[in-house]
Amino acid sequence: MAGIAIGESEWEVTVPEKPLKDKLYFENLKAKVIDTNLCSRCLTCACICPVDGITAVDGVDFPDYEAKCTDCGACVRVCPRFVYEPKSGLGTYIEFIAGRSKRFAGQDGAMVTELIVSAMEMGMIDRGLFAGRDEKWAIEMFHVRDPQQLAIPTLGGTKYTFADVLPALKKAVRFTKRGVGVVGTPCIVSGVRKLQQEFPIFREKVKLVVGLFCTENFHYDDISKFLQEKGVDFDKLIKTDITKGKFIATMSDGEKVKFKVKEVEDIVASGCNVCTDFTAVESDASVGSVGSAPGFSTVAVREEPAKKVIEYIKEKGYADFGEAKPEELDYLINLKKGREKNITKPI
Amino acid sequence: MKKVTVPEQSLGEKVVKHAAAIKVAMKESVYPLTATVFYPRERKKMPDNFRGYLMFDPDKCISCWECAFVCPANAVQMKEAPNKRYYPTVDYGKCIFCHFCVDSCSGGALKTTKIHDVAYKDMDEMLTLTEEMIEEPEIIREDKKLVEYEIDEQDLHLKRTREEDTLFVEVTPPVEIPMVSQCIEPESCLGCRICEEMCESGAISSIIERQVVKMAIDRDKCTGCGLCVKECSMQILRLVRK
Repeated sequence: MAGIAIGESEWEVTVPEKPLKDKLYFENLKAKVIDTNLCSRCLTCACICPVDGITAVDGVDFPDYEAKCTDCGACVRVCPRFVYEPKSGLGTYIEFIAGRSKRFAGQDGAMVTELIVSAMEMGMIDRGLFAGRDEKWAIEMFHVRDPQQLAIPTLGGTKYTFADVLPALKKAVRFTKRGVGVVGTPCIVSGVRKLQQEFPIFREKVKLVVGLFCTENFHYDDISKFLQEKGVDFDKLIKTDITKGKFIATMSDGEKVKFKVKEVEDIVASGCNVCTDFTAVESDASVGSVGSAPGFSTVAVREEPAKKVIEYIKEKGYADFGEAKPEELDYLINLKKGREKNITKPI
Repeated sequence: MKKVTVPEQSLGEKVVKHAAAIKVAMKESVYPLTATVFYPRERKKMPDNFRGYLMFDPDKCISCWECAFVCPANAVQMKEAPNKRYYPTVDYGKCIFCHFCVDSCSGGALKTTKIHDVAYKDMDEMLTLTEEMIEEPEIIREDKKLVEYEIDEQDLHLKRTREEDTLFVEVTPPVEIPMVSQCIEPESCLGCRICEEMCESGAISSIIERQVVKMAIDRDKCTGCGLCVKECSMQILRLVRK
């Protein structure tokens, strides 16, 4: 579905079919994806919305859509879950390695930062989208254009909260000269691929998509309330991590708050209950901690651009590399694959 | 090292040169050559395209906001008029008289005048509202003479004439290259029809037939104002030469 030119000043756009006739496209999206709890909150729709009306304050919504919505159907065109084809497994990869950056500190081996910065040094991209956080651990998006900006310590490290990566992407592809690097959860990666499939500007400008291993994600309000109940002081919190079925919150004074992941099951975002993709199979490279020794990040290099970046890192000696074990991922891959049964039949 | 010496001169030459110097001194003492314009009794003649006080014609304004966007001093702010359109206001406390706003105005709604003495009694008056820019402002004029600068081979002379300069002049606008809007990347079109909504001249039309949105730009109606180009969220419209 795309537009085609007919004459010099005439063109045609094919828009998707509406399951609910006589309703706006957003109402269709709301009925089929948001209200059925399929929505992953990837915000691909907010990225493409021509009137920038779609927000995600308390779930994805379009306040005042009766007045503002132009009914163009772009949100439906790009939504990865409107026609949901669940992906799972390990995916295809060229190389499956463990790495530890010598230059950066982050979660485990800081390989996400290393990949993006190396791509920037190679000239493949001129900006990377990073999810930073404020002192209350709410997410803020950063356009990193210079590796020196990564001196901000909050840019690295995992945040178990949704990030508005894709709304920031629209601005990034417009201003970039060389290309953009994106980091995101599997749902965000799927959203980027969907955008690339539909629109040439994203095909041309998004050069590197780094996926993260992801079991589930949390809404900021829910997880902050939960952590406060567990006695986590946000002023002192420096790192969050999930290892071997345990959620570990590390404080600046070395104190650790640990509890079982099962305890947070109730507040897992509804869209994650139907997500079967653990390893971001559509990304250029997936990074996570499972499958490698402590202090290392597992990197599944899937596409040619990521392969080039890894070769550049090896050539410059920016990181130590070791062996990764794909079979260690099987448990979580199967766990997520089991969520397939949660997907309800489309309306 | 080169030494500078007094040039050899005969007595006759010395007398001639001294006489010339005395002549200049006598002339300056009687009729001094100054370049002072005695404002406000006199007013310097300004060129027609002088960057002075701004005037505004709401009929020509297409509310494209370009003047407000381009203003480097943030002096131009848009304000909603009773007819729901947005028109510019100028804060002369900030204006640097660069006239980028006049140059950027695609409809020719902003005009310049030869008024250079834009002075006010207090800061609040400096914010000139749209209504005040439509009518010619009241100014107190004491000037009786018009002063023109003339440069001959070496000297600058002031030429004074007993007449009043007209401060409000119609400047012939520069020859515009006719432009027309065109879609450069139909593949990325969302079919949101914001361009159609924005178009002042009704040049952009759309027909929805089931799952197909047919867009068309009427090249004859299009005035090349660029509103659609600016509003297109995918930035796939461009102004091209007609």
